Amino acid sequence: METNALSRRNFLRVSGIAGSALCLGFYFPANAKKGELITVNTADLSGFEFNAWIRIDANGKVTLTDHRAEMGQGSFQSVPQIIAEELEVDLKDINVVFAQGDPVKYGSQITGGSSTIRGSYKKLLKLSATAREMLITAAANKWNVPASECYAGSGYVIHKPSGKKLHYGELVADASKLTPPKEVKLKDASAYKLIRKPLQRMDTPMKTNGEAIFGLDKKLPGMVYAVVERSPRLRGKVKSFDGSAALKVPGVKQVFKIQMMVFNTTRDGVVVIANSTWAAMQGRKALHVEWDESGFEHVNTADIYKAHEDLLKTKEGLSFKKQGDPDGILNKADKKIDVIYQTPYQAHAAMEPLNCIAHYQPDKIEIWGPIQAPDWVQGDITSKFKMPKGKVIVNMTFLGGGFGRKAFLDYTHEAVAISKEIGAPVQVVWTREDDIKQGPYRAGISYRGQGSVENGEISALKFKMAGQNIDHWNGPSRDKANNSTAEGFLKPYYDSIKNLSFADVPYEMPLPNMWWRSVYASTNGFAYESFMNEMAVLAGKDQLDFRRQYLKDERCQALISKMEEVSGWKSRKKNEGFGVAITECFETTVGQVVKVSRNAAGKVKIDKVWAVMDCGWYVNPDIITAQIEGSVVMALGAATIHEITFKDGLVEQHNFYDYLMPRMSDMPLVEVHIMENPADAGGVGEPGLPPFAPALTDAIYDLTGNRIRKLPFNMNAI
Amino acid sequence: MKKLIIISCFLSIVGFVSLSFRSEKVINKNYPTLPKDSVGSTKAFMSVYKVLMSARCMNCHPSGNTPLQGDDSHLHTMNVTRGLDGHGVYSMRCSNCHQAENTAGLHMPPGNPKWGLPPANMRMVFQGRTPRELALQLLDPKQNGGRTKAQLIDHMANDALVGWAWHPGEGRTLPPMSRPAFAAQVRLWIAKGAYAPSAKIK
Amino acid sequence: MITITVNGQRHDIEADPNMPLLWVIRDILGLTGTKFGCGAAQCGACTVHLNGEAVRSCVTKINRAAGQNIVTIEGLSANNNHPLQLAWNEMSVPQCGYCQSGQLMSAAVLLRENPNPTDQDIDDAMSGNICRCGTYQRVRAAIHKAAAMQTEGVKS
Repeated sequence: METNALSRRNFLRVSGIAGSALCLGFYFPANAKKGELITVNTADLSGFEFNAWIRIDANGKVTLTDHRAEMGQGSFQSVPQIIAEELEVDLKDINVVFAQGDPVKYGSQITGGSSTIRGSYKKLLKLSATAREMLITAAANKWNVPASECYAGSGYVIHKPSGKKLHYGELVADASKLTPPKEVKLKDASAYKLIRKPLQRMDTPMKTNGEAIFGLDKKLPGMVYAVVERSPRLRGKVKSFDGSAALKVPGVKQVFKIQMMVFNTTRDGVVVIANSTWAAMQGRKALHVEWDESGFEHVNTADIYKAHEDLLKTKEGLSFKKQGDPDGILNKADKKIDVIYQTPYQAHAAMEPLNCIAHYQPDKIEIWGPIQAPDWVQGDITSKFKMPKGKVIVNMTFLGGGFGRKAFLDYTHEAVAISKEIGAPVQVVWTREDDIKQGPYRAGISYRGQGSVENGEISALKFKMAGQNIDHWNGPSRDKANNSTAEGFLKPYYDSIKNLSFADVPYEMPLPNMWWRSVYASTNGFAYESFMNEMAVLAGKDQLDFRRQYLKDERCQALISKMEEVSGWKSRKKNEGFGVAITECFETTVGQVVKVSRNAAGKVKIDKVWAVMDCGWYVNPDIITAQIEGSVVMALGAATIHEITFKDGLVEQHNFYDYLMPRMSDMPLVEVHIMENPADAGGVGEPGLPPFAPALTDAIYDLTGNRIRKLPFNMNAI
Repeated sequence: MKKLIIISCFLSIVGFVSLSFRSEKVINKNYPTLPKDSVGSTKAFMSVYKVLMSARCMNCHPSGNTPLQGDDSHLHTMNVTRGLDGHGVYSMRCSNCHQAENTAGLHMPPGNPKWGLPPANMRMVFQGRTPRELALQLLDPKQNGGRTKAQLIDHMANDALVGWAWHPGEGRTLPPMSRPAFAAQVRLWIAKGAYAPSAKIK
Repeated sequence: MITITVNGQRHDIEADPNMPLLWVIRDILGLTGTKFGCGAAQCGACTVHLNGEAVRSCVTKINRAAGQNIVTIEGLSANNNHPLQLAWNEMSVPQCGYCQSGQLMSAAVLLRENPNPTDQDIDDAMSGNICRCGTYQRVRAAIHKAAAMQTEGVKS
């Protein structure tokens, strides 16, 4: 079981090559552990780098770079799968390495917005084909034959008429002297050998035997461990602290105060440094910290939603989109509904709690960690610590989940600040409680939907949202509606619903909030698609037919037909509840049908979820399937069993005993279908999440007549 | 070969179950008696009942096969199940999380060397039982693990796992009376004739 | 000084006897396949085998393991070839992978004690392991697959 450059054997072989002064494409620092992914600093390397993603050494060893974070979504597989296709190498013969943060080389590296493939696949296909053509030209020149008589396959260039072949390694030196061609021909999708194939993930072997190195697994020589007691309340300041008892805990070395920027506010903490994670945690328990909470806001969850409701009922808000005259029609309409939906605050709660290693030295700063945006971290640390350009090195490890939280810059900054204070490499470890209690959270958002029906047709739709706006942290512009006010809502509706409006009623609140898997679509989708289901009832229509009537574009029509076909929509039985929702997120449309029934004890249970995804061009259907399965589980948790609540400014949840997670016994069957069409690639990692909650509540309505408008709700209480 | 493994597995479970009974001191000496007094006996039992139905006792005597948790006696999360011997199944054995002593801290797993539910063949359900049902069940050797009245008193008064209820760790409420007071009520109930309350008493 | 055997190797450990096995394994022995997820026996990411039982090492003091046999994910098989590991690979079970060491260690106990588990058995054995990526459907399928592989292996 080869794990691509990560086994001991590879290590030794590469060392041998280095010894004989041949070029190589990656290196192992002295303290590297078996199975560790090493990011490549190409300045130290010989060998020919065709571009930032492809490097081939004289032995023909191919090293491909994953410039995005691997947090479960599969970039470690799908990026190489794209490159190998056009480069004509076999995946078993390549190594994959993570890039360091380097926006000049790689462009954006932020692994968010489901952008890894859709943001770079065209570039990756082209640069891979370019490298292949250069190798073919080098071979043709060597043989003195026309390049058109040559082709590439499995890491060789082959001369068709004679059958002669040369390994890429033998061509690197010549190819490196060529000027890259301006235009290259890309394969037709029908000729793909790797793309669109459900290939096994190359990172699985090292994730089944403990070899994969996550942030928390990275160790440096001389590294110490830190935990931080942070203010339990927003904006709490350290008034005083007594670390004397903590310093008596065996292994504890230092205790000191630290202050961090979190957006435009500060966060105080007391740091405990020790020689093991456990010792640091014990030291923290022995700390006595007095917090100054003057000027502190005593946030309560109930007040937040009360404020939302008042705003939605009394304010028109900032218009995001308006067509026709929805207000005029609603005023005159007889048949209309006016409802409010509520969605909760949520923590990301990735399985790997936040952590980061930083090594501050006067002339450079080096960082290792589970990082979603290495380029952002590099920029942030460079400016905050006033380092010269290029002196902040950000190394990515595997991420034990991210969901948006690890694209925030607080924990990396904190680690560097601590390392600077103690002058040593340090691993800052967040406990699960820190991870859940400190935020930032997905904001809870409330919506008001108003709609009317005339002669079985929608005559007007009016949506308003009230909730915190992520954008306000960075560039507050309070006179413009939230950019994402209509996120999740299918654009083809605009063509068929003449009187429609969306507005954002600004709601300011100092709780730190930010993106969470599928961002605003995760809450908007629930409100807007629930409302379309309510409108279907008002119009006396079947929910799928209703959508077919208003989503006229070809892709939506095909998607709806597929949903109908795979779910057996037309042969529904009496004792089953069927629900549906379709949302758009990051240029991908996903429709889900959920089926529920009552078990022997009379409790509602989810029997099955059918998901149909239209993401256009795609790489690995098995990874897509996995992403949707996982999105359904995450959506199930957020819809039915967990939420972050505040009482007197304190977060009420602590750990998985009160921020519950779906478990094996809660897992419904999920069946995934991917639409085939020639459109450009859309996102994959997030779009599977938004339609689940509205489809589930619709199914519950179908079974019980009970329409759920507030998340989360208790499945056992229906 | 496979059959052999299954049989030996079964035997070891049976052995474990009987062992856990044997491990309790068998008290042959008689128990104190008082003149029969159905009113006094029933009254004592109602005190006993209040303790048994408190979260600390009832949580491990659930009506289903999943233990209960917390002062609100909700179903134990993570789909925990009883198993044949009452100590869970497969990778979800009680002692995989519950140590020989309480783990320090709020919401951390409580512990005892014998942590577990009654075995599947002797479930000793408290949850949902009326006082009368529970009294009759406690006295019935077919349902109480073959215990005589003396052994029953000993179990309630001295068993270490029962005793955990009075040392439940941080954040858990105690039963409504002390253990000695509880044991005294058990003795009184039995001494006065071990009457079961009338079916009318809830 | 506490002596433990980890993956067949004896170690004499100098540590606070209250230190959880998790931190001994990770910070002292440097075996990082066993993960820290919650520190409260809620998520199962730290599951190791203590004398064959799937204990949560984050709440198991090293004292309890004194003189005992521990197997971590690194010792589940010699060559990443336990039927579960093979099935996990074939079905691309892990996403982020962080919880998978724990999932595998739990599944290994299930499969040892029940060579042909039903879906209910899988629910009962595996609900102590949280996967935030939501790989449950694949974990279930891979356990069935591994059971079949194991049975075939026994036959041949």
